[in-house]
Amino acid sequence: MSRTQSTATDVASTADTDTPLLDVRDLRTQFSTDADPVVAVNDVSFTLSRGETMGIVGESGAGKSVTARSVMGLIDHPGEIVGGEILFDGEDLAAKSEKEMQTVRGNRIALVPQDPMRSLNPVLTVGSQIVETVERHQNVSETEAKEIAIDAMAETGIPDAADRFSDYPHEFSGGMRQRVLIAIGLACEPDLIIADEPTTALDVTTQAKILDLLNELQEERGMGILMITHNLGVVAQTCDTVGVMYAGNLVEKAELEALFERPTHPYTRGLIDSIPETDREYDELPTLDGAMPDLTELPTGCNFAPRCPYAEEACRTAGDPELRGVEGTPSAAACIRADELDLSEGRVPDAAGLGKSVDRSGDPLLRVEGLKKHFSAGDGVLGGLTLDRSGGGFPKLKRQSVKAVDGVDFDIYPGETVGLVGESGCGKSTVARTVLQLLEPTDGGVYFDDQPLHELGSSEIRSLRAEMQMIFQDPGSSLNPRKTVGGIIGRAMEKHGVASGEEKHERVGELLERVGLSAGAAGKYPHEFSGGQQQRVAIAHALAVEPRLIVCDEPVSALDVSVQAQILNLLNEIQAEEGIAYLFISHNIGVVKHICDRLAVMYLGEVAEFGTVEDVFDAPYHPYTQALLSAVPHADPTRRTNRVLLEGTVPSPIDPPSGCSFRTRCPKKIGDVCEREDPELADAGDGHHIACHLSREEMSEPVGEGHAGDARSVESGARSDD
Amino acid sequence: MSMLSYLVRRVGFLAVTLLFVTLITFVVTNVLPGDVAVLILGPNASEASLQALRADLGLNQPLWVQYLDWLWALFQLDMGQSLRFGEPVWGLIMDKLPRSLLLAVAATAFAVVLSLPLGVIAAVKQNEPADVAASMFGFVGVSIPIFLWGLVFILVFAVWLNLFPTGGFVAPSQAENGWMTTIRHLVLPATSMGFALTAYVMRMTRSSMLEELGDEYVKLARAKGMSERVVVIRHAFRNAVIPVITVIAFQFAYAFGGIVVLEQVFFWPGMGKLTLTAIQSRDIPLLQGCIIVVAMMYMLSNLAADVLYAYFDPRIRYGGEN
Repeated sequence: MSRTQSTATDVASTADTDTPLLDVRDLRTQFSTDADPVVAVNDVSFTLSRGETMGIVGESGAGKSVTARSVMGLIDHPGEIVGGEILFDGEDLAAKSEKEMQTVRGNRIALVPQDPMRSLNPVLTVGSQIVETVERHQNVSETEAKEIAIDAMAETGIPDAADRFSDYPHEFSGGMRQRVLIAIGLACEPDLIIADEPTTALDVTTQAKILDLLNELQEERGMGILMITHNLGVVAQTCDTVGVMYAGNLVEKAELEALFERPTHPYTRGLIDSIPETDREYDELPTLDGAMPDLTELPTGCNFAPRCPYAEEACRTAGDPELRGVEGTPSAAACIRADELDLSEGRVPDAAGLGKSVDRSGDPLLRVEGLKKHFSAGDGVLGGLTLDRSGGGFPKLKRQSVKAVDGVDFDIYPGETVGLVGESGCGKSTVARTVLQLLEPTDGGVYFDDQPLHELGSSEIRSLRAEMQMIFQDPGSSLNPRKTVGGIIGRAMEKHGVASGEEKHERVGELLERVGLSAGAAGKYPHEFSGGQQQRVAIAHALAVEPRLIVCDEPVSALDVSVQAQILNLLNEIQAEEGIAYLFISHNIGVVKHICDRLAVMYLGEVAEFGTVEDVFDAPYHPYTQALLSAVPHADPTRRTNRVLLEGTVPSPIDPPSGCSFRTRCPKKIGDVCEREDPELADAGDGHHIACHLSREEMSEPVGEGHAGDARSVESGARSDD
Repeated sequence: MSMLSYLVRRVGFLAVTLLFVTLITFVVTNVLPGDVAVLILGPNASEASLQALRADLGLNQPLWVQYLDWLWALFQLDMGQSLRFGEPVWGLIMDKLPRSLLLAVAATAFAVVLSLPLGVIAAVKQNEPADVAASMFGFVGVSIPIFLWGLVFILVFAVWLNLFPTGGFVAPSQAENGWMTTIRHLVLPATSMGFALTAYVMRMTRSSMLEELGDEYVKLARAKGMSERVVVIRHAFRNAVIPVITVIAFQFAYAFGGIVVLEQVFFWPGMGKLTLTAIQSRDIPLLQGCIIVVAMMYMLSNLAADVLYAYFDPRIRYGGEN
């Protein structure tokens, strides 16, 4: 993260003169099973210097977290470090006893864990959770420990740290909890911080703030950071050096710029290519076929060979290649062809047809008008009742409600993909469920093919269900585990009278092949498939009844990037052939940009901006869109956006701000009018709708430097926002 | 939701439940066969005197009026006269209730003291011999009925080893050694009942501990360099005990129900004996009183659990997730 101060060469030169802070040599960690032991970390070596940030990147199952936990000596039974050395400041941690490790952990090596919602003990105050670390490792009095803890909280940007010391974790937002976790890590001034997916559970605007915080803290303190992440964007924005892991092996080691400019391992290239970047146009994402092999069934030869577009016979037979320097580059790769391959250019898929065009001259397939969905707050008869004196005079008993969706309009034309994007809690999933009448709308209308769904009875809705299908984030839990895939898909056909008998079997086979599985897959059960394959099954299931609209609710969020790219391409292909319309819900800006034709940016139950993808991603912007876009970490170290950091967190949908709901965090707020009037979602005549009081010119201006810099100081005054 | 409103809601819930209990008790005891007037005056009483007594007792009133009268009296702790003993029911119950409470509380306390550490050890040593032994012990505990434990304990500790009396209750005021004598009489019934209760609490503690030990905050506590003792006790156990509290409350209520048999085994003259007498002698007012009091005990133990819940879980104390 010191990239902004020192260049990568500086780091390399310091590394030459000093002993590295962390020197991992041939680390091997395995898990014993009933059969052969599974090697989760296979002879991994790397070094990390003080002040350096090294990224360990890879997809799930690559072994990156196990590597990190091995360094801390925290491998749970039946796992075990069976080989190698972990030299930390010259001492071999692997040789230390558990008692000795306890004095290192939390003291000299600190962990910033992944899940801020579960990593804090819910029954202890956040203060006491910091204090216990301090008291454990430092010889200080209780009062001093408390002071140190409050300082650490303040340093990580927790407003009113002293007041919040005695608060419990549930009284903090996700981003603030992550700050508490960082404060715990910093409290003993460690030399090394292991950050294990520190921002994965956070929204993109919060992620931007946490990454900036880690950057700043490292500049002040000069500790080493080992950044474990699956997100190449995070790597590009924070790391100095990078190690890429695949199936337990370190397959590439490189300095940051080199990694992105000229990757030396085909897997790295594939990983970079698979990410839909917000600033690039694709018809089809370049993908890697297949998925990471199961560690119990590794192929002979190079583990990556079965998916590698450059694999030769020798790759499949000549054993696992060693990591070694690649000629003409400062990088090292575990690939026998590394010297001859030049992977500096990304692969461009063959099908480079023209972008599709959507015909919007006819009637829209789906029209949503003024849709509202309020949930009652609190439980029970008496729950959610408050006294309201806002009207003056006698207090009135008023039932509180969560305004999850509060007036949303958009339409979808046949063959079109419309995206709903926004951070958690913005109401996008509620819109999806309300559109499908899985939830009854509080107000407003949903018209499918001009039929008012909100007025239809449940039996009429049921007969329309075949035309509107849904795909969920977690196919594993939406597919019946006790039925074969063929049974699941076949039943959908029978239920809606699409096909039966022999015809049904034939069609199931065709569909499975259509989504890239074999017809033979029909006899298998859902758990026999990987996550990506299950999502393919879910798509086949949705297609079975020949729908005209598919609502996709975060369909690729749980998938690794290489698999995500495959699914996105599949969805696009199917749309091109069948003319199905998609309502695509996602928090991932890159994914939405790639797959959607038009896009609605949602904030606090309302649409802030709606238009074609080009419109939304270009000025003029709604200030929220602008902040959201700027927060996305680009998987390209040469591109750094001037991040617009938003103050505080999303207000409660029970009591949204008056006027414009974004005004409490808006860096471009103009004054009273924002507090008084709720801006209309106004069309500039070109179909690009923005709900903002600013003029289009003002919305096109960048947010001033001053604003971005101010954000933290403003935030510290915004305790109530948290 | 503040702590206060949480408690007000729990108490309100309790009051409504109690009202239902009184209704059910009243209805059930009134449809039981047997004419109260005949029961009191005997089978040879004249029709005139029976009629007079019925009028006197209000038995000619519509049932709902009788219920309201009874409820109003109950509200004033007037449970009527026992037919069998000719004394106020309230006094009879107040005489026996403390003895049963003593037994139930002692048994529950014994069970808790034994089962919490056992459950924690079993979880920490999952699948190791200590865990297997503890689980086995738990299984045996549940499978064997309370009264059998009682008989075994009497045989071993009273008859063979002659360490404790075989049964009976001595009030501290009546004995030379005061509480010592009472406690000597309490040990066997309390432990034999406690053993049966231990199993459930232990198994619940074990599974709850296992769940917590796998949670992320436990991993972080280890990553902070905390000793295993701190990780287990301060972090995991404080969370794991929360669901166990409910089980303990249920077990206490179960102990109160199981007391009927055990009091027979140990000649312990408490609520169990009193209830049995009430049933056998068709003593409706006494039976009603016993049922209500036992139900009250059940509900109070649940209220206690709710209060403890709030004490241990700040998410309840300070209102749910926000």
